[in-house]
Amino acid sequence: MKALYLYPGWLRIWHWVNALLFILLMVSGASMHYAGTPWLLAFETAVPIHNAAGILLTLGWIAFVIGNVRTDNGRYYRLRWRGLAGRLIEQSLYYARGIFRDAPHPFHVTAEAKFNTLQQLSYLGVMYGLMPLLILSGWSFLFSVYLPETLFGIGAVWVVAMTHLATSYALVLFVLVHLYIITTGETVLTNPLAMITGWHRERHTPSRDA
Amino acid sequence: MSFVPIRFEIGRPAAPWSLIGVLALLMLGLGRPAVAIEADKQTKACLRCHAMETIAYRDPVSREIVDLSIAPRLLPHSVHGELACTECHRKSYRRYPHPEEAERESFSCVGCHEDDSAEATYQLKTVESEYRQSVHVAPGAKHADRFNCHSCHDPHVFKVSRVGTDIAQVVRDGNQVCLSCHEKARDPQLGSHAWLPKRDAHWESVRCVDCHTPASAEPSRVSHQILTAEDSNRDCVACHSRDARLLNRLYQYRSEEDLARRGLFAKAIFNEAYIVGMSRSPLVDWISLLIIGLTLLVLTAHGLGRYLAYRRRRNR
Ligand code: HEC
Ligand code: HEC
Ligand code: HEC
Ligand code: HEC
Ligand code: HEC
Ligand code: HEC
Ligand code: HEC
Repeated sequence: MKALYLYPGWLRIWHWVNALLFILLMVSGASMHYAGTPWLLAFETAVPIHNAAGILLTLGWIAFVIGNVRTDNGRYYRLRWRGLAGRLIEQSLYYARGIFRDAPHPFHVTAEAKFNTLQQLSYLGVMYGLMPLLILSGWSFLFSVYLPETLFGIGAVWVVAMTHLATSYALVLFVLVHLYIITTGETVLTNPLAMITGWHRERHTPSRDA
Repeated sequence: MSFVPIRFEIGRPAAPWSLIGVLALLMLGLGRPAVAIEADKQTKACLRCHAMETIAYRDPVSREIVDLSIAPRLLPHSVHGELACTECHRKSYRRYPHPEEAERESFSCVGCHEDDSAEATYQLKTVESEYRQSVHVAPGAKHADRFNCHSCHDPHVFKVSRVGTDIAQVVRDGNQVCLSCHEKARDPQLGSHAWLPKRDAHWESVRCVDCHTPASAEPSRVSHQILTAEDSNRDCVACHSRDARLLNRLYQYRSEEDLARRGLFAKAIFNEAYIVGMSRSPLVDWISLLIIGLTLLVLTAHGLGRYLAYRRRRNR
């Protein structure tokens, strides 16, 4: 049995607040986007929820970035370029094949590296690619009055809306995959529990009883 | 057609001196306190009679009732509210009974506002040229000869939409103009807008002119080219879609208005600028939903595979 304290308190609080905001944003966002669908929120309810949650999400994102700069949590996001492709393929092959054959995890969580390369890449893409896009487009929407008439020859509001829509769809996709992938730890609950307690617990035996 | 003509054009040439007088006053710069007080006194004198709601007479020629009442509560909010009555009307109106003049006054917005700040800000000449193409005065329109700017804009009431006016109020004011003549359009049985779900919700949040004028009339604020019923817009996607081309101006205005009234933070929370489905694009939606659906499918299959593998392992 090995236990690693990987998720400090601030990070866990941020994570779950973020998760809650994501749910709020997805439900209220869909309610506005597909306004009129009976089982969604009323349009006028969804708007303030969405805006408030979006602002909080922005604050959360800023807190996350600051947290990663100020603490050593940031090191988990530093890519090791050497052998990147190889590790990526290895990890993908594990999900595609090995996982069904009870193959050992190609990646082992340590205090130095809590994310495998695939996780690293997707979290980097989400936190420093999609999230800034989402937040920027969201705020542009809020303050559309200051936008120029056109951007790249297209109506500015249109550009903003499409950016917002596309990133939000991509993030919905991320949430789905994320929710599934976290169950692929040593046991189904290894990773979710770690994000609750902060401790990553693993029996750390390369081969499991067959 | 439910047309009750409420005003007439007094189709004679304007008495030149009245125009010159107005222009001279414009140049002298109105609105100085002394002038304002004087204007106020005189306005009161006229309103002694003309504030009466019932003051009216029947025109001997057309047999129509001419309403002569000026609403004293609306007057101060008008762009013309600070002017003395006789800055526009003949000085001889100070006497009562008003002397019969051979020539009756004739005014036009554009005539009084040549090359002044109102023209510069509101492009009245552009407005006029749009107006000339509108259904009300197009060749063949029945009442074209009696229609003019004042048919819709009572000069004693006319005000402009400003940043800070409640958007609902802007819509209400604008729509009241149309509904004052098109009263029958209110009747739900009539069916002219039966195709529009939640008609009243729409009429409270969009202006008649948003559908009844061409969308291409950028960037002027309000197009004055009222279209025929046939050419008017009934395409939901023109508003409930990504580019909302019919709503862009009202939408921009709403943001601006919210911003001015409520401050940045409140505006960010209560922002109403996201019009229903405005960013909805069928293509993006379908592709996205398809990808999400496929992903779900793959994940489910993957999970099932893991479960089966786990069972196999246990049974062994
Ligand atoms: C004592 C009441 C009274 C006062 C004061 C009065 N009016 Fe009148 N006004 C009338 C009446 C009644 C008419 C109806 C036509 C007529 O008698 O000439 C009228 C008609 C008019 C009309 C002509 C409407 C039309 O289409 O023929 C104008 C313009 C007008 N008044 C402006 C003024 C102005 C400007 C003042 C102040 C300087 C003023 N009136 C003061 C009673 C008054
Ligand atoms: C900005 C110029 C302007 C000012 C100031 C002004 N009027 Fe008028 N008034 C007009 C015009 C233009 C018309 C003709 C409207 C039309 O064609 O229907 C008019 C018409 C009228 C009429 C005829 C009835 C009607 O509504 O058509 C009356 C009465 C009248 N004015 C009274 C007054 C009084 C009283 C005041 C002062 C409180 C006043 N006006 C101030 C421009 C002005
Ligand atoms: C008889 C002449 C006359 C008529 C007719 C007239 N106005 Fe005016 N208007 C004036 C005068 C005089 C002023 C005051 C000018 C000022 O304060 O700069 C004024 C002020 C205004 C202003 C405010 C200007 C500013 O810069 O704030 C607007 C807007 C305006 N008028 C629009 C209209 C419209 C629209 C119509 C037609 C419905 C109209 N006017 C009809 C004489 C007239
Ligand atoms: C068929 C009715 C109608 C006629 C005729 C009409 N207007 Fe208007 N006008 C409107 C309506 C409705 C609005 C209000 C739009 C709004 O602000 O919501 C408006 C607004 C305006 C504004 C204010 C624009 C702003 O930014 O707030 C001006 C200036 C104006 N009209 C000038 C004119 C002039 C000049 C004429 C004559 C050439 C004219 N109008 C004729 C219906 C009319
Ligand atoms: C002064 C009265 C009056 C006002 C104000 C007025 N209208 Fe009209 N409108 C008429 C009359 C009269 C007709 C019929 C014109 C004709 O065909 O001869 C008409 C026709 C129309 C039509 C064409 C109907 C058809 O069968 O094609 C539309 C659309 C319309 N108006 C919209 C508006 C809108 C929008 C406004 C407000 C900006 C407005 N009207 C303000 C009197 C008015
Ligand atoms: C969502 C767009 C929309 C709005 C908002 C709207 N209209 Fe219409 N309106 C239309 C269309 C489209 C038609 C043509 C309907 C048809 O011919 O079947 C029409 C028809 C009309 C007609 C002519 C039909 C008839 O009854 O003879 C009038 C008059 C009219 N509208 C007035 C108004 C007025 C007044 C308002 C504002 C209170 C308004 N409309 C708001 C889209 C709109
Ligand atoms: C001129 C622009 C415009 C057009 C055209 C238009 N809408 Fe709307 N619609 C709006 C706006 C703005 C709202 C937001 C109303 C509000 O504040 O609740 C709205 C709201 C709605 C709502 C929600 C109503 C509510 O009570 O919240 C529905 C449903 C709707 N529209 C359906 C339609 C359909 C269907 C069509 C076409 C037949 C259509 N609209 C055409 C502008 C438009």
